Amino acid sequence: MARQALLVSPELCIGCRGCQTACKEWNHLSVQKTRNTGTFENPPDLSRTAYNRIRFIEMPTEGGPRWMFVSQRCMHCGDAPCMTICPSAGAIFRTKEGAVAFNRDKCIGCRLCSSACPFGLVRFDEKNRISKCHMCSDRIASGLSPACAKTCPTGALKFGDRNSMISLARTAGYNKLYGEEDLAGLSVLYAFKESPKVYGLKENPAMPETLVFWNEILKPLAYAGFGLAVGASLLHYLAIGPKREEEETRHE
Amino acid sequence: MSERMIRKAGAFEILNHWALALSFFVLALSGAGFLYHLEGVAALFGGPQGMRGIHNWAGVVFAVSLAGTVFNYLGVSLSFSYDDIDWLMKGGGYLSRKKINVPPQDKINTGQKLYYLGVLFAGGLISASGLAIWLLPGNRELVLASHFVHTLCYAALLFFIPIHIYLATLANPGTVRIMISGTVPLDWARKRHAKWVKKMGYE
Repeated sequence: MARQALLVSPELCIGCRGCQTACKEWNHLSVQKTRNTGTFENPPDLSRTAYNRIRFIEMPTEGGPRWMFVSQRCMHCGDAPCMTICPSAGAIFRTKEGAVAFNRDKCIGCRLCSSACPFGLVRFDEKNRISKCHMCSDRIASGLSPACAKTCPTGALKFGDRNSMISLARTAGYNKLYGEEDLAGLSVLYAFKESPKVYGLKENPAMPETLVFWNEILKPLAYAGFGLAVGASLLHYLAIGPKREEEETRHE
Repeated sequence: MSERMIRKAGAFEILNHWALALSFFVLALSGAGFLYHLEGVAALFGGPQGMRGIHNWAGVVFAVSLAGTVFNYLGVSLSFSYDDIDWLMKGGGYLSRKKINVPPQDKINTGQKLYYLGVLFAGGLISASGLAIWLLPGNRELVLASHFVHTLCYAALLFFIPIHIYLATLANPGTVRIMISGTVPLDWARKRHAKWVKKMGYE
């Protein structure tokens, strides 16, 4: 199966929040009481019951304030740091469509994934188990769009084959998408008109360096060292042998 | 046997050492289960959640018993003399079966001193980093650094501890009784820990 992706075009978003509602409905997520803090943004952050949300950015410009709506969720990295660091086999896994999904029964609640995530997008449920966007892995496995993209009335969220999403954006005049190359490519692509910073995103997101070294050097080193220690001991035992007290005394 | 036995390790030292050893064994095994995604090992601990609970609490036992070793070995491990250099030059007499005259040693020999200091350092770091991962999950930079240090110390301990176990058991039969009865024959102690025997006033 070719990799699937969501294409987010903030310029097309009208902030209707249909995606937020559709997500809650499909994933049976409860509502969350929030407080009005004087901004359109609601909820104020992703949470265990908010797998996606619309970030609201108000920017002053010469012609008056400019509004931007940026749909936010797990980026579904091609090389996902959360999966690399996760100590529990199968708790975070990749679906054949390229989504980074999870299995709560295997999650141990250590929260290492949340420290590894370059975007800080992982959330946890009341039992401390991972709770985030899985790109409606159940829907996309049956050939459907994720609930958020299905419901989007303006085309700000589009879903499909990752390569066709890229060509679609090219035709619309976006030469470079956010998430095209970084972290082996994200499965959530952003068609940004300006620098990612304007939209509150990191310029070059990457796997944390310590995690790369840990994965590629430390992990093999630990078992190689153990093997070496056991092997050298065995070799010493066979080649030189134990130092017996009696022998020593006898030779004296 | 008419050999005169003397006490080398007391009840505290023996029990504390076993607490350290057994907790290390549990930690190393469950740690490998996490590091290499060994589902069979996780099943042994009652699933991944059970393995996490056991790993964390065995870590507490490890940290506490490691702190306990300070009373037994830190003082002697920090006292170095020319004899220690000489001992190191001769490789402690460990590498061959021939009798090698090594300089007189204290309660623990030079190799054991260095090993102890290394274990105290790596064990202290692995405990502190483990506690940080466990108790401060929101602190991203601290958790990533701790996660790195935790595995680095794991690699170090996984290399040195099997050698320690080998030297104390198969390589030097009779040594392990220090950790069982705590007593050793006076002659044995004279050969290996002359300085200590003298200090203790055994004739």
